[in-house]
Amino acid sequence: MTATITPARVGARPGEKLPLPSRNALTAAALLLALLGVALWSLSGVGLSWQQVTRGIEYAGSFLARAVPFVWPTLPEILWLSALTLAIVFCGTAMAAILSIPVAYLAARNTTPTRWGGALGRFLGVATRAAPDAIMAMIFAMVIGQGALAGVLALGIHSVGMISKLTADAIEQVPEGPRLALRAAGATKSQEFWGAVWPQVLPAFIAIVLHRADINLRVSVILGFVGVAGLGHQLSIAMQTLNYREALPFAIIIFVLCVAFEIVSALIRRFLLGAPVARRTLAHRLVRALPGGAGAGAGSGAGEAAGAVGAAAEGNSFGRAAFAGRVPWTADRLKSSALLWGTATLLGASIALAATQESSFANFWKNLGIAASRLWPPSLPPAKWEATAIALTETVQIAFAATLLALAGSLILGVFSARNVAPSPAVRGASRFLLVVIRGLPELLLALFFIILTGLGPGAAVLALAIGGVGLLGKLFADSIEEVDRGPERALHAVGATRTQVFTAATFPQATPALVGHTLYLLDTNIRSATVLGIVGGGGIGYMLSSAARINQHELLALLLCVLVIVFAVEGLASWIRRLIA
Amino acid sequence: MHHPAAIQLDSLTKRYGDTVALDDVTLDIAPGERTVLLGLSGSGKSTLLRHLNGLEQPDSGSVSVLGAPVATARGRELRQLRSRVGFIFQQFELVGPRTALENVLTGALSELRGPRLGLLAYPKALRVRAAELLAEVGLEERAFQRADTLSGGQQQRVAIARALMQQPEILLADEPVASLDPESSQQIMALIRELAERRGLAVVCSLHQVELALGWGSRVVGLRAGKVVLDAPAHSLDESAVMAIYQRAGDDSVAPPARQLDLNGAAA
Repeated sequence: MTATITPARVGARPGEKLPLPSRNALTAAALLLALLGVALWSLSGVGLSWQQVTRGIEYAGSFLARAVPFVWPTLPEILWLSALTLAIVFCGTAMAAILSIPVAYLAARNTTPTRWGGALGRFLGVATRAAPDAIMAMIFAMVIGQGALAGVLALGIHSVGMISKLTADAIEQVPEGPRLALRAAGATKSQEFWGAVWPQVLPAFIAIVLHRADINLRVSVILGFVGVAGLGHQLSIAMQTLNYREALPFAIIIFVLCVAFEIVSALIRRFLLGAPVARRTLAHRLVRALPGGAGAGAGSGAGEAAGAVGAAAEGNSFGRAAFAGRVPWTADRLKSSALLWGTATLLGASIALAATQESSFANFWKNLGIAASRLWPPSLPPAKWEATAIALTETVQIAFAATLLALAGSLILGVFSARNVAPSPAVRGASRFLLVVIRGLPELLLALFFIILTGLGPGAAVLALAIGGVGLLGKLFADSIEEVDRGPERALHAVGATRTQVFTAATFPQATPALVGHTLYLLDTNIRSATVLGIVGGGGIGYMLSSAARINQHELLALLLCVLVIVFAVEGLASWIRRLIA
Repeated sequence: MHHPAAIQLDSLTKRYGDTVALDDVTLDIAPGERTVLLGLSGSGKSTLLRHLNGLEQPDSGSVSVLGAPVATARGRELRQLRSRVGFIFQQFELVGPRTALENVLTGALSELRGPRLGLLAYPKALRVRAAELLAEVGLEERAFQRADTLSGGQQQRVAIARALMQQPEILLADEPVASLDPESSQQIMALIRELAERRGLAVVCSLHQVELALGWGSRVVGLRAGKVVLDAPAHSLDESAVMAIYQRAGDDSVAPPARQLDLNGAAA
């Protein structure tokens, strides 16, 4: 009698109902299905069709005919513009990195001094992340003029959102013990943080900042379209004058620069952070961005063994140095000095370069007053409400449709790139390489390319964001699939399951929460990117924003607030679903 | 021993929700005394130690260390008090990515104003002092090696040097050898004893290995469910007397006594 009420027996009886899943799981499933429905509706709504794409290919032919022969800028011009673009990116990223440290300190649960501080830190992170960088650059350009500084400030403020969020996550992962030890020795709060927490966060922080510099380089091209100096600005001038023979070379230079920067930053990461870090958060994934960097978990790596051998050989001289109070040039000291002085030199040069662009603080306060009075109060005439609603819907559709397409592409490339499920090493290598190339393509170039192919409108933005999304999402998927527990896979192999059976029964279910989380993250970024791409002709609210910026800034602020409401709504929904499936 | 007590606990009580971690503990520890705290895990050993440097606050009763009340100390006063009390942790708690020498130097943070990052941020005189302490624990050759590349025993030596860097008057150790193999355990216990004797420090060390405890301490305090159930000079005790600490009410089966190790030999 007691045996009949055990769940196993109930489940085994034919015709008996299975126990219901938990309420959280049901809610999450309903929400995800609803999101999928919205995405399918969006995809049909953005007017993307095969005919359009095939017709676009014909256009591409005539476009290329108008674009050749290329008119290349002179070499000094190329070098100068590239240096200027990089200088703006470095200054902006550095500014964001410095601002992010206090914000992350406030936002991280284990370091925040008060509950209010934590709320403030998280609010600052979300707020800076929500305001699109190109719009910020437009507004700054009104106050301090077009040039470099508006771009630096826009990048410097917007990037705080991502850097502080990921850094706060990394701070929360740090073991508490060393901090407690410093507290027990009588250290102050700030001594605890810089002495025990920061050294443990530093590798992740460097990886996050380098990754953000990668992103900012791509973003700086879009900033060129709102008047920030550099390669993007030259590209926008050439595009606006329909001078494709000059535009295409700029596009090629930008692409090469982006790929080169991605490779250099990956090399820097590997040089500085050879030992892999515990890999749970997005930040830690960035640390091991190179395939070669993916090794054993935290604790003992190859680098440590090498360090021990070196120390034994040089031990005596190090001992003497220590007694004399000297600090010898060990490999670690060389690395940290190289990092410190390299960053300082680069930043100094960048500031000098960016300062050559005319932005003037002479009329700063006056201009600020003028800009504020032009922006405030936000107002939108009722005649434009309908158009705004349509444009906002279009932006949301672009984001959803692009995320759906990116999800489909990333599932294929992600599975082929993951070591534990890829059909063969050759397939894995090829799809990893493809992901790197896709990540190197700035979304703006893709958008311009598709605008040429499909004409102005949401379709171009969808394709651009979808391809750009595969670059990011595919890599995150591959990493998450590789990180599943190997036990269940081995167990299924042992009972004679096929590769597909192992994947569907063991690997995929374990990776699902991570995959859902990454997809929601992409949706979140795509809403903002869809807005920004509208500025260059990708449809949606972005176009209205850029014309409002020129004509009526009261409308600009009102529209911006509408965008922020949507961004916050999607962000809130995403974090709700993440909590439900956690 | 004419000096006032190094540590005075008076009716110390601490609760976590419904569980009583410390129940009316009254204890005096004299300067230079080597006290071993014994008891099952959860008997209150760690909680007791953490009250002695203000990492925990009592619910009632008083804690006085080196003549100063700990429970009411705040801010600068509390940090000053903590700097006079060295603490050694079970898990060493070194800052992994930093060198052994820099980890030792963090023990001197209370002497300095403001945060420090990197060896060069510390005054040279302190670097020399830290190097001498590393030599004293036998690790001068490892001074510039990352702490997370050292073995467990070596890491605990660095942690001991860090505690001594504070120039403490009292040394507290919370299960300092629980994460180490038997050989390293003996070496670390002998090292703590030797260094403390050389400096005349009072030591309070919690342990769960009875065989390590008897040869090492001058006094044994047994805790059970937060109450002091044994307090006697170590030389007056044999293992069966100590094993009674681990007995639960109504439980007659006592684990067979383990062999006693001669730690005086190991220390030499």
